[in-house]
Amino acid sequence: MRRRDFVKGFVAVSAAAKSVLAQQATQVAPSTPPPVPTAPGPVPWMRGLNEMNRVSPDVAAVPDAIAQTSARFFSGEQMVTLRRLCEILVPPHKGYPGAIDAGVPEFLDFLVGASPADRQRSYQNGLDWLDAESKKKFGVAFVDAQPAQIDQLIRPWLRTWMSDHPPTEDHAYFINIAHSDIRTATVNSKAWSDAAKAEGERSPNMGVYWFPVEPDMRRECAQPAAHATKKHRA
Amino acid sequence: MPEENVDVLIIGSGHSGGMAAKILTEKGISCLMLNAGPIVDVKKDTEMKPAYSLPFRGFKEPGKLPHVFQSNEFNANTWVDEQEVPYTYDPQKPYNWVRVRLFGGRSLFWSRQSFRLSDYEFKGKSHDGYGDDWPISLADLAPYYSRVEAIFRVKGRPEGLPQYPDGNFVLDDSPWSGCMQRFVDAGKKAGVPVCKARSSEGVGGLASSVNLLLPDAFATGKLKAIPNVVVREIRADKNTGLASEVFFVDRLSRREMSVKARVIVLAAGTLESTRLLLNSKIGNSSGVMGHYLIDQIYGAGIVCSVPEARDGKATPGLMGGNALIPRFRNIDSKAKNFIRGYALNVYSSTGPMDPRNFAAYGEELQQKLESYHGSAFGAGIMGEVLARYENHVSIDKNVVDAWGIPALHISTKYTDNEFNMARDAVDTAVSLAEAAGFEVLSKNYDPNPPGYSIHELGTCRMGDDPKTSVLNKWCQSHDMKNLFVVDGSSFVSAGWQNPTMSILALAMRSSEYLAEQMHKGNV
Repeated sequence: MRRRDFVKGFVAVSAAAKSVLAQQATQVAPSTPPPVPTAPGPVPWMRGLNEMNRVSPDVAAVPDAIAQTSARFFSGEQMVTLRRLCEILVPPHKGYPGAIDAGVPEFLDFLVGASPADRQRSYQNGLDWLDAESKKKFGVAFVDAQPAQIDQLIRPWLRTWMSDHPPTEDHAYFINIAHSDIRTATVNSKAWSDAAKAEGERSPNMGVYWFPVEPDMRRECAQPAAHATKKHRA
Repeated sequence: MPEENVDVLIIGSGHSGGMAAKILTEKGISCLMLNAGPIVDVKKDTEMKPAYSLPFRGFKEPGKLPHVFQSNEFNANTWVDEQEVPYTYDPQKPYNWVRVRLFGGRSLFWSRQSFRLSDYEFKGKSHDGYGDDWPISLADLAPYYSRVEAIFRVKGRPEGLPQYPDGNFVLDDSPWSGCMQRFVDAGKKAGVPVCKARSSEGVGGLASSVNLLLPDAFATGKLKAIPNVVVREIRADKNTGLASEVFFVDRLSRREMSVKARVIVLAAGTLESTRLLLNSKIGNSSGVMGHYLIDQIYGAGIVCSVPEARDGKATPGLMGGNALIPRFRNIDSKAKNFIRGYALNVYSSTGPMDPRNFAAYGEELQQKLESYHGSAFGAGIMGEVLARYENHVSIDKNVVDAWGIPALHISTKYTDNEFNMARDAVDTAVSLAEAAGFEVLSKNYDPNPPGYSIHELGTCRMGDDPKTSVLNKWCQSHDMKNLFVVDGSSFVSAGWQNPTMSILALAMRSSEYLAEQMHKGNV
């Protein structure tokens, strides 16, 4: 690439650069780059690392498939309700894990907790509403309601819908979005992937991941919270 | 001193910038291309990964890219970050501005649909009285379409319909699948033409500026390209009144630079080109710069199931394939509550059904998904949005991007013409699907927010009258003869057609005119 040459040639004409060059005319320009500082030891730090002797990224385990994660966002009651909702909406099926086995309640606690306020409110209000409705209609908390009772609460709000156009009514919005999220989090889990492999599916849930392409480091430092901007500002 | 003079400075490297570079360098003109983002190295920049290994399990990172519905956790890093390059709008008028700044721009990621505009678009006003005619017709652009179609290897079948002009195709003589044939027959009975879709095959699976246009330009030895530089301003020479110098900043180092050129070709994408011109305060003696922002209606459509393909009975002969219904409203007859028209993208699939098509959960949903697997059939709208003066962009003085460049404020919304059109499209799709014997599972009448189609057009529209247009019919500024805008900004109307072929043909035509004018010494 001749970009460096071009930039070098170009800088020479800018006014500032010209005056710098004028001052330098009487000095001797350094002809070699400054030496690279050596490591404080007998072996240079970076020696020997290459494609052949690195640890393969394939050995990495997924932390939340192994470690306990603590729920931090939802209240105790909300978490219990969410767990029951997960159990009912996406149960295990023919060797594939259900939402509980896939760690979905804990994952959603993390995901929703990290989300903008409108998504947080929708989940919190939705879970509170389910519990309150169950107590009102059946005299028991949602977690203790029978599947048939839960069906009475949920079914009236189930809708068919197309991408980017969820139903807009309050309870229908929550029920359908939560259902979709719970299902996606299940299907995208390590547990599901393992089950799919066992069933002979070759590359379940694989996709082409794009790393940041020459990210602007300065911006990364300067922008603390991604979703702190005002609503009207895109 | 710079090693050689820049004849033409091209800002942007997508389809339009790539085409300008190819045409100009092949005619012996030396070009310098500036691009705001880095060059992609797919080997280094991508990796196959399972969704579970990503931080958010494949869900979009919360709060990131809220206006890029197309984004997910896998591809999030390919889009322009909305915090890095913000834009603003009135909360009542949301706009999805979907941008890519990687070298090659959005030509890296487009959906390949490849259409010509017809004289129902170029001469729309003459046909129905609305808006303005273009200063050119299909006959002016047809030779360029033919050459573009050859480069992009557009697969299609001649249909002989004036609203769906035929082109220079790699012939698609494949038979319809069984379900598509039933839909074609249903269309015939209803007087709705169901045609073969048209799309760019490209080369090696890619149909982009980076593999079909730029390599030819680099091969001439006449093109240099600088990635990672963000242009802030074009300045005019005080004596000649012509555009003479471009000021830009290195995206990573923040180093400020500038370069002089004989001619400046803007190809940064409709809204970035217009933003740059507005920030530079040039080329707008007409006062219409930024106005007449248009795009296309997407999002309304239906999802069906072909009953005969359920329960494991789907075969490649029955299912699969695409079709296109070109505009058929307001051609020979008049629709009752909208002008212009829409096309429908029609597809069938042998894959899994989206669970959102069933109002069911648990075991019941699982059974539905298994039974309906491989039976999906759908249709979605691509509708014309009318060009309106009041749909416009301007500079928001209170917001700047990561390099201190003032942001764009976008003010646009759909009206009853668009909503009625979307409603008619869905109702028509439902009646055709039912006539074909399909079960309609879901339908949606609501268009996605403006901008979603990534087909933003207009804002520097072309015309013969310098008082009512920014560019002439050669995409040349009325105000500065050495300033050209070769992306989608010049469009007078959008039609329903994916604009890529038209942008390419216009860029080719405009660049040949420019080369000729430069050789004559006129520019």
